[in-house]
Amino acid sequence: MSEEMKRILLPGDLVDEAPKRLDGCFVEKGRTFAAVVSMQVGEHVIPLKGFYIPRYGDYVIGIVKEVRFSGYETEINSPYDGQMNSRELREEFSVGDVVSAKIYSVNEVNEAELVEPRRLWGGEILEIEHVKVPRVIGRNGSMLAMLKEYTKTDVLVGKNGRVYLNGGDTALATLAILKICREAHTSGLTERIKEFLEKEARKEVPGKESGKEAPEGESGNEKSEKELM
Amino acid sequence: MAQNVSSVKLIDGDRRLDGRGVTDLRSLKITAGVLKKAGGSALVEWGKNKVLAGVYGPREVFPKHMTDPYKAIINCKYSMASFSSLEDHGRAGPNRRAIEIGKVAKHVFENNIFTNLFPKTMVNISMEVLQSDGGTRIAGITAASVAVVDAGIPVKDLVQGVSVGKIGGRLVVDLDKIEDNMGQSDIPVIVSLRSKEVLLYQLDGMLTRDDINEGMDLVFEAAKLVREKQVQALKEKYERVEEQVADEKPAAGKETEEVM
Repeated sequence: MSEEMKRILLPGDLVDEAPKRLDGCFVEKGRTFAAVVSMQVGEHVIPLKGFYIPRYGDYVIGIVKEVRFSGYETEINSPYDGQMNSRELREEFSVGDVVSAKIYSVNEVNEAELVEPRRLWGGEILEIEHVKVPRVIGRNGSMLAMLKEYTKTDVLVGKNGRVYLNGGDTALATLAILKICREAHTSGLTERIKEFLEKEARKEVPGKESGKEAPEGESGNEKSEKELM
Repeated sequence: MAQNVSSVKLIDGDRRLDGRGVTDLRSLKITAGVLKKAGGSALVEWGKNKVLAGVYGPREVFPKHMTDPYKAIINCKYSMASFSSLEDHGRAGPNRRAIEIGKVAKHVFENNIFTNLFPKTMVNISMEVLQSDGGTRIAGITAASVAVVDAGIPVKDLVQGVSVGKIGGRLVVDLDKIEDNMGQSDIPVIVSLRSKEVLLYQLDGMLTRDDINEGMDLVFEAAKLVREKQVQALKEKYERVEEQVADEKPAAGKETEEVM
């Protein structure tokens, strides 16, 4: 990734003289223009801003918003809600439950049908911009693996920009994820995050023994494990 | 003719009351992302004007019967703070003028945002005038366009506005309050530079056909400067992070040494 090829695009900027089908771009009179703030790296255009629109096959983290006879209306960090159909479900949910689910279908007005919901117990949820999700996961999940290794946190990333964190050093994991999102458009990110995690993880050890962060995190953990059993 | 209407001399040679030339803009500063709770926001400080714009959505339509299954609906609200000018502001709430400006701004953004991409939703755009000195609808829509882009809503182009008008028989760009009230004519214009489209055009007073043609050339020329400021405001955040990251490298090394 050379520095010369990278540039920030704003709506109306010309991307290509030929019509191309690119993320966050549109074609007018045979030419391709940017429609959102994005970053051009060589041939690729990566949007830097945007909201989540449900897509078939995505795994999302939702919050049950309404209980109906026919199913559950689930908020999925998007202008559109997801529906879980009672007929497809083996368990019952109530308002406020957090689930991870797969998008089974999306209709022409972007309403999504969710299947295979898995209830998430304990832990915490972090909301990030959904366009930053690929950076949090990293190439072949490298970033995510690194986060898990250093923080011992169970991290679950939904395509809709919700991150579920459970156990381990969630505070450090949160800081690291926020740092990834803030610096998502820069190069050499993985190395910098590794440096950050190494530095901060070392700091945390004496802090924990003095009982500043540890009791809350630990007790939360045990509880969630019990509940799962 | 203006001299007959009022005794104010608005232009002397090429110099205007505030010392500007005929095609000079007032000082312009745009800041993006000033509101934490809004999807996108921008503050425009244009001469003595100060306008804050916030964008909320796309989100579920309220009231629900307004839902359009083919496209997103757009609501624009323009409001002048009661402390924004010296004039009597009348009763609280939107007046005839505020409703009109909200309506024309709505038309600008209906032709600018890709509403077909997110049907059954609504986008709310508010423009709050905190301080006014002529040309606030232009400043408001310029701010709103930055806010819409800051919210990540796909648009055809950044849109920007400039006013053009006639004072003391001369065509001038970016009229302030005195020039607007005492001059012969003024036209606020919103344009898209990419497609050379005019999205808003409201003529007040009288101009000849030639004046209008010449005036529109001035508008497109001045709009380039406004767009530059908008681009700067939107890029600033990303460039700042990039600089910090570049600076961080040596600094981070030092810190670890101290810790050890």
